[in-house]
Amino acid sequence: MLTAKQNLLETIRGGNPDRFVNQYEFLELIVFMPGFKYPLQPGVTVKDDWGITFTFPEGQIGGFPLHDDEHKVLKDISQWEDVVKPPVLDTSDEAWAPAMEIANSVNRDDKFVTACQMPGVFEMTHHMMGMEDALMALYEEPDCMHGLIERVTDFELKRAAMIVDRIQPNALFHHDDWGGQISTFISPNMFKEFFLASYKKIYKFWKDNGVELIIHHSDSYAATLVPFMIEMGIDIWQGAMTTNNIPRLIEKYGSQISFMGGIDSGEVDFPKWTPEICAEHVERICRSCGKHYFIPNLTQGLNFSSFPGVYEEVSVQIDKMSKKMF
Amino acid sequence: MAKIDEVRSKVETGKTKLVPGLVQEALDEGSKPADILGAMVGAMSVVGDKFSSGEIFVPEMLIAAKAMAKGVEVLKPYLSGETSVSLGTCVIGTVHGDLHDIGKNLVAMMIESAGFTMVDLGVDVPAEKFIQAIKENENVKLVACSGLLTTTMPAMKDTVEKLKGSGLAGFKVMVGGAPVTQAYAIEIGADAYAPDAGSAAVRAKGLVAAA
Ligand code: B12
Repeated sequence: MLTAKQNLLETIRGGNPDRFVNQYEFLELIVFMPGFKYPLQPGVTVKDDWGITFTFPEGQIGGFPLHDDEHKVLKDISQWEDVVKPPVLDTSDEAWAPAMEIANSVNRDDKFVTACQMPGVFEMTHHMMGMEDALMALYEEPDCMHGLIERVTDFELKRAAMIVDRIQPNALFHHDDWGGQISTFISPNMFKEFFLASYKKIYKFWKDNGVELIIHHSDSYAATLVPFMIEMGIDIWQGAMTTNNIPRLIEKYGSQISFMGGIDSGEVDFPKWTPEICAEHVERICRSCGKHYFIPNLTQGLNFSSFPGVYEEVSVQIDKMSKKMF
Repeated sequence: MAKIDEVRSKVETGKTKLVPGLVQEALDEGSKPADILGAMVGAMSVVGDKFSSGEIFVPEMLIAAKAMAKGVEVLKPYLSGETSVSLGTCVIGTVHGDLHDIGKNLVAMMIESAGFTMVDLGVDVPAEKFIQAIKENENVKLVACSGLLTTTMPAMKDTVEKLKGSGLAGFKVMVGGAPVTQAYAIEIGADAYAPDAGSAAVRAKGLVAAA
């Protein structure tokens, strides 16, 4: 039997995998490092290093940035240079110790030590000023937006250098949601104009510094951005929703990029979930996508589900499909 | 090109800085305020169709709506004398427990540009607040509920049930949001569903005309 790492490489290289890659099994995700602040339990409110306030209300399934007058970081995009201050990250050994401990415990022949970067560059723009302001500013104040994006990118690169130094990751898991379920937020042309160069820089830096695998998370429609994903160096797009017609993407781009997802969290991961629903979605996507360039996975951007048991059940069902199809 | 046609084309392409001046010029040229408004509404419905078909994206739609709003500001003093052009009031909000509002805001803009007076209750709106808004505002013809989380679908159902059971009348209920389907809308007793902002405006007009 191949190791999780070997099986992943066979899958994304069109070789001879001996089973489906089961969701996030090939990654040891390291989330908690300086520069990541986000409320992970209900009832918690957190202000991140840029001054963005996130709250996770009771009874909800996740956190949310606040954009009322009191909390919005950037109220007027023309003021970005003065208002948006890149944080200074903690460089102490204590701050990095937990991440290093995980990294050191991993058998790197079996799994990829994986650095997580969230939020992404586009998300940062709307976390600071709200989605509507951010999207309109792309039209109304393009120069400011280019400047802001560059500042966020530079900061990401600085953090990347610190992470490389501390944990020498073999893979990167980078969040940035680029769309809703049936379309991208911005047109491919606008994406190219504002975000492509930044991401080329970011992903090149990681690859130049020992990272073999770039996994980008966008749980959305983004089929029209796949050519850019390839150009910027993404190896695996995680979060691909069924609305993208993944089988067709595999046919067209499979040898250049792999797709991870195909089990829409919204349809499977809800309070009244059942093993039967999980099984149905897993079987459909495994059969339609096949063994190469595809990793069956809930579209959610981490290795758990909102409702207890769903993630594990999906894993069980994927193993069943492996037995049937391999 | 007549100024009124330029208003139309510049709203469509979201030229927020040009539209106010052009509206003034169209007025100076002798165009009727109601016709200028009509031109802008027409432009927004083109924008809505293009969004529905995937030809344009969220920023283009936001910017067009903003251009129209700027034009309407110039037009307002001239319109107030005329009889109300409103198709009625539409109360809109994202249901209880749900904080997503990008889609809801687009829907509100399109329904407004179709000629409704909007009362936007924001996000995380309990059923009671929708009901209160119907009581507090005049001529409420439509209540629009948005929901983006599968976990808040029960809140949407509850909202529709309470609206329908409130004893209030004269309004229709429309629902939408990514997890909502036509079948679900029927199941929970809503009067209408639309998959996107462009078709929501078309549906809204249709509902009120049929009433
Ligand atoms: C942007 C986004 C956010 C932003 C929201 C910003 C904002 N101001 O709204 C942020 C980052 C803050 C956020 C937070 C959260 N999100 Co969110 N988010 C999204 C995302 C990426 C896009 C949604 C969107 O704006 N689409 C674009 C708009 C234009 O489309 P739309 O909303 O569908 O609206 C259109 C139609 O549906 C329709 N429509 C909408 N409303 C109405 C109403 C009527 C009456 C009609 C007729 C039509 C209609 O017309 C609209 C325009 O055409 C989706 C993922 C996805 N792929 O969709 C997740 C998603 C909706 N989020 C999700 C989750 C879980 C959350 C969080 C709980 C946790 C988290 N951190 O991710 C919190 C929410 C807390 C809460 N209680 O609400 C999940 C929901 C899963 C589920 N079980 O349902 C999704 C699907 C992502 C996922 N993980 O799978 N999110």
